[in-house]
Amino acid sequence: MKSRPLVMDHFSTVHTSFILNFRFTNNITILMGDSGTGKTAAFSFIRECMAVNSKILCLNYLDYQNDIRDMIGRANGKLIVIDNADILLNDDTRKYISLDEKNQYLIIGRNPKNLFATKENLFELVSKKVGEQTEFTIKEYL
Amino acid sequence: MITIFKDKKDIPEDMEYVELNDIFFNQNTVAFIDKQAERIIETIDNAELIGKYKICSRFNDVTLDIDRLSTGCKTVLNVLYYPNKVFCLKECGNNALDILYHFETGYVFSEYALIPFSMDSVIARSKSGKKVINDYEKLKEWWDIEK
Repeated sequence: MKSRPLVMDHFSTVHTSFILNFRFTNNITILMGDSGTGKTAAFSFIRECMAVNSKILCLNYLDYQNDIRDMIGRANGKLIVIDNADILLNDDTRKYISLDEKNQYLIIGRNPKNLFATKENLFELVSKKVGEQTEFTIKEYL
Repeated sequence: MITIFKDKKDIPEDMEYVELNDIFFNQNTVAFIDKQAERIIETIDNAELIGKYKICSRFNDVTLDIDRLSTGCKTVLNVLYYPNKVFCLKECGNNALDILYHFETGYVFSEYALIPFSMDSVIARSKSGKKVINDYEKLKEWWDIEK
């Protein structure tokens, strides 16, 4: 599904020796790929920004007992970042996300079911050494 | 060979199913980490096990607590050290699946197909019984079609 980002087309932050530099081309970005590439590390850097950026809402396995559908249903104008999405998102929530016109999503998982995703939604993490730092970006998943 | 369930109802009542691999690893599996884990951690996360609870990260060579392993790597280690429990397969990337599908024993669950390109024989277990499958396409067919 091709739709322009509703909240932000660029997100960047720094966490000690890590730089995060994400450019979004779609309202739903699904971040997939091999295990151990740094997806959850990237999530933790974005979650840190929740403390100072009200446009960010982060969810992960620690929210397993919470009503995810209700939490995102109450959100407005946020970049909602969901790690462990393959165990957190049920079919109903996935359908809601695919039609949500209030928020933008960065979904870390490998199952695009019920998100009406096309290859334009699928991305993978790229890490690159920049001096003593490591920069994370995203690129289309092949 | 590993045994795969595709319906939670097919998991025997006396077998525990673990969905949250991160928490199970951090609270249980970590106590059993030994030499066996070294190659798995190196292959999947490109990290080095440098102590019972420490790894050297692929990023910047920093020392991290072992809880920073990827969920896919933790899942593989959970299956390795707890071969009588059933673990959720859904958070394994292809590199983790590659290793898991060559295990001699262990149990995993996913409603949808998660198959590496290189696989040994596995036991596919559903309400219609068990069958040994050693082919990607046949396993995908079992997962997708056979209900």
